[in-house]
Amino acid sequence: MEDENKTPIVHLKDVVIGFNSSRPLVEITNMEIFPGEVVAVTGPSGIGKTTLLRTIAGLVKPISGYIHVCGSNPSKILRGEVGYIPQRLGLVRHASVLHNVMLGAKTNQKLPKSYFSSKEEKNYSLKTINSLGLTEKINEPVRRLSGGQQRRVAIARTLSQAPSLIMADEFLSELDEKTINMVLREIIDYVKNSKAALLVVEHDVSRAREMADHLLVIDDGRVNPFISETRTILLEAEK
Amino acid sequence: MSFRDNAVIWFSFIGLLISVFLINNLVDDWGRLSGSWNNLTIFISESLWPPNWSVIEPQAYPVCTVYPLFDFTCSTAWIGIIETLKIAFISTIFGSIISLPLALLAARNLNPRWISFIVRFILAAARSLPSIIWAIFFVILVGFGPISGILAMTIYTVGYLGKLQYESIEGISSIPLEAGKSMGLSRYEISKGIVIPENANDLISQIIFMFEYNVRHGTVIGIVGAGGIGYYINLYLKFLQYDKVIAYLIIIFIVVLIIDFISISARSLFTEEGDSNEDSIFTSFLKLWKETILPQGLLFFSRK
Ligand SMILES: Nc1ncnc2c1ncn2[C@@H]1O[C@H](COP(=O)(O)OP(=O)(O)O)[C@@H](O)[C@H]1O
Ligand SMILES: [Mg+2]
Repeated sequence: MEDENKTPIVHLKDVVIGFNSSRPLVEITNMEIFPGEVVAVTGPSGIGKTTLLRTIAGLVKPISGYIHVCGSNPSKILRGEVGYIPQRLGLVRHASVLHNVMLGAKTNQKLPKSYFSSKEEKNYSLKTINSLGLTEKINEPVRRLSGGQQRRVAIARTLSQAPSLIMADEFLSELDEKTINMVLREIIDYVKNSKAALLVVEHDVSRAREMADHLLVIDDGRVNPFISETRTILLEAEK
Repeated sequence: MSFRDNAVIWFSFIGLLISVFLINNLVDDWGRLSGSWNNLTIFISESLWPPNWSVIEPQAYPVCTVYPLFDFTCSTAWIGIIETLKIAFISTIFGSIISLPLALLAARNLNPRWISFIVRFILAAARSLPSIIWAIFFVILVGFGPISGILAMTIYTVGYLGKLQYESIEGISSIPLEAGKSMGLSRYEISKGIVIPENANDLISQIIFMFEYNVRHGTVIGIVGAGGIGYYINLYLKFLQYDKVIAYLIIIFIVVLIIDFISISARSLFTEEGDSNEDSIFTSFLKLWKETILPQGLLFFSRK
């Protein structure tokens, strides 16, 4: 938003999001996220924050509107470009930490292509695992880890994709204060250094303000999420 | 109390009435039942009992050359049951190698509807006939012997195991699949990296169950000439040597019991709870195998 010369990583124009056209969840007239930016989404639960992320990831079709993500339509996003961390993580619980993180590294476009798991993919994975303090757990099946450790595995998996856009759904819940700082530092360092974009759903408004360049507040002022009227979208510029 | 509360009792009662009507319809001469108890006692005392245990003695030809203590391994019972076990093992392995890719294609959560529909149709066709009918078919096609048995049981295994597999694949959480999809993993990579590891417990225990199932059914396919111990049962049935037949049946009963027991205890290890129990030496060894040796081995081979 501040730099007119750059092309946005995420661009939504007149987009209506939801599962049923008679009951739209969120309407967004214009939203752009530029390289290096962090945007936090807040709003009451059930309003459609998760659905917004899933729509940008190409997992849900929008009801209408124009969406452009990493230079293409969400349904044709290039391999590895989008790192989506679902609220419930979506890890392979019966497989090891390394196996999970290597799934991300497999899609990493900066690494040489390989049919089987390559040494480069393994080393890259080990590096991200180490940066999140999970080196001792490499061979542990994910289901044996604590909730906070599993969250860090999901973040390591996403970072090893080297994505242009990271979307994380309430990814700081279940973490203690010290781990939050570590995770935030890793992920924000990555975003700033690689000129990637970060879109997070964050329940805690003060924390959202703290980490984000921009805040996206989805609020209809009502409890019923199914009311079909335009929701007010406030895009506040912070900092 | 309403009809609803007693639905089970009512359904059983109505079912019983219908059955009584149907059986009356099927049987025209009830008098034949009256002599059956006598027939049975005569049959048991004169031709069935005692079992003729000569079936576990070495055959006259070919000459048995093993150490006398192990000469039972030259007997028809041993040769037959080992052949049955081999047929069951080979069919289970071949069948599961073929059924896994088909099950991955049949799962609705991984594929477009039309693909899963076609593959489900193939799997349904493979299990529409019991393995003994497939065995008759292959005996006609390729002749007597274990090859026919293997082909028959492999086909049935594909159909039956494939169904078990795609049903458990469809049961896995959609979230890991979405995560994989949003990363841009291909359908093959999602299958190999997410679906199979997430389902490994189920897949392994289903294969063990299928082996147990195939041992049970493998004992009868020999009757139509498709190999295994059933061959000898058929032979002595023809010669009316029922005391030998009963000896084979007792051996089959014992072997099936043993395989069932092994299968049940092996499968109990491949459950989520199986991981959290306190470990005995046996289970820790199996755990070591399952969580370290096996995955490392698979990883080793997957890296070529
Ligand atoms: N797959 C789906 N099909 C239909 N409705 C859904 C689906 N997923 C979520 N919803 C509904 O969409 C609304 C928004 O859900 P969600 O995006 O998860 O909200 P939030 O993340 O803000 O709590 C909820 O009312 C939910 O019930
Ligand atoms: Mg949500």
